[in-house]
Amino acid sequence: MADPELLAMLLADARLPVAGHTQSGTLEGAVMGGLSAADVPSYLRARLVGVTRVEAGTAVAARRAVLDAEPLAAVETAWAARTVTPAVRVASRTQARALLRLASRLWPDAVLPLAPLPAPSRSVVLGALAGGLGLGAESLARVVAYDDVQTVCAASLKLLPLDPAVVTGWVVDALPGVEEVVAATAGIKDPSEVPAVAAPQIEAWAHAHARTTRRLFRA
Amino acid sequence: MHDHHPHDHVQRPLRLGVCGPVGTGKSSLIALLCRELSARLSLAVVTNDIYTDEDARFLRSAGVLAEDRIRAVETGACPHTAIRDDISANLMEVEALEQDYPDLDVVLLESGGDNLTATFSPALVDAQVFVLDVAGGGDVARKGGPGIERADLLVVNKTDLAPYVGVDVVQMRADAVAARDGRPVVALSRHDRESIDALLDWVLAVRSAHQHGDLVPVDPGPMAPHFHADEHAHSH
Repeated sequence: MADPELLAMLLADARLPVAGHTQSGTLEGAVMGGLSAADVPSYLRARLVGVTRVEAGTAVAARRAVLDAEPLAAVETAWAARTVTPAVRVASRTQARALLRLASRLWPDAVLPLAPLPAPSRSVVLGALAGGLGLGAESLARVVAYDDVQTVCAASLKLLPLDPAVVTGWVVDALPGVEEVVAATAGIKDPSEVPAVAAPQIEAWAHAHARTTRRLFRA
Repeated sequence: MHDHHPHDHVQRPLRLGVCGPVGTGKSSLIALLCRELSARLSLAVVTNDIYTDEDARFLRSAGVLAEDRIRAVETGACPHTAIRDDISANLMEVEALEQDYPDLDVVLLESGGDNLTATFSPALVDAQVFVLDVAGGGDVARKGGPGIERADLLVVNKTDLAPYVGVDVVQMRADAVAARDGRPVVALSRHDRESIDALLDWVLAVRSAHQHGDLVPVDPGPMAPHFHADEHAHSH
């Protein structure tokens, strides 16, 4: 099997064919709600101390469940309970469908533990893949958090166009925050330990965004 | 039987793509196909919208198919990507329709309106129609591009508008035929029954070829095949 770190790079790569270009990490909803380009670094930070910890913690718990041959349903429930807005849950599960479709072709054995779940979230799918493919908890949490930062920044280039070097600077500046997410979540053993840190304003933006008819991004 | 297509009967419905620039009449063409064919074929539609689901809503309001047979894919402002390099969202919707309606004969996929270089991946559709219209200008067919030159069918739409926009339809059609090396062209107006029948004949012939396992999806490219470049060196 390939080095798991290569797998981490593959999963974090925007060229992975999972329709990632349709996602903005709720940035579009935030911009509709009045967020400006100057606010994006703070928005990244808010996600890294909030919703991203839920996602990374869920992925780590799902990985643990697969390694311990425990059912994933409890992890999925823990995630859903911490992800209040239906819009965010739908967006995650839609992305998960694309990832699952791809993974079923590439790693059919690794997706077997997901079979009992009718519509798993993206973080549960990522965690299950990590468990099946030998990716460590820290690398997994790093992928989830890094991907969130890049999703928001790539979307900001469409929504609030700037010199891409400036936006990549935001990514670089957010990397210590990514490592904080890794430190906070990589040790999670049980679904009950997944951080419960909702970010109500982001949820409200996501909710409003899902009801608009003039959006560029799916979520 | 051809070596490259060993199965003699294809169970999966035909996946037919409709692409072309914004405003050339892709949604109307799909509505027309649904109106004309839904009595004899089981149809479904996947739209790719620039915002949310306006094309799907247009088709649903046209009342040409049951609402649930018309589904929208949101393309994240990248209509080209969604039909060409990362077709996952579209494939998922097509597969869901095929699962929900096992009797389907044809799934029509409408691309989001894009530029002249956008064509479907052959991994997503079995055949594709590229749509231009006379109102976009009589010289567009001459400009060429992968869809105009190598889509399975080129439709020059809204020919009834030609007198109002100062376009010579005969010339535009001749330009299109010349650009296409003998591939079919239909100059279409929804007020011209003969042109509608020509379109329907083409669709039914493609479906028949698909059913018999004789249809090999062809990529119009963005890149012209090498032999093509050589062939064209002497012409025009």
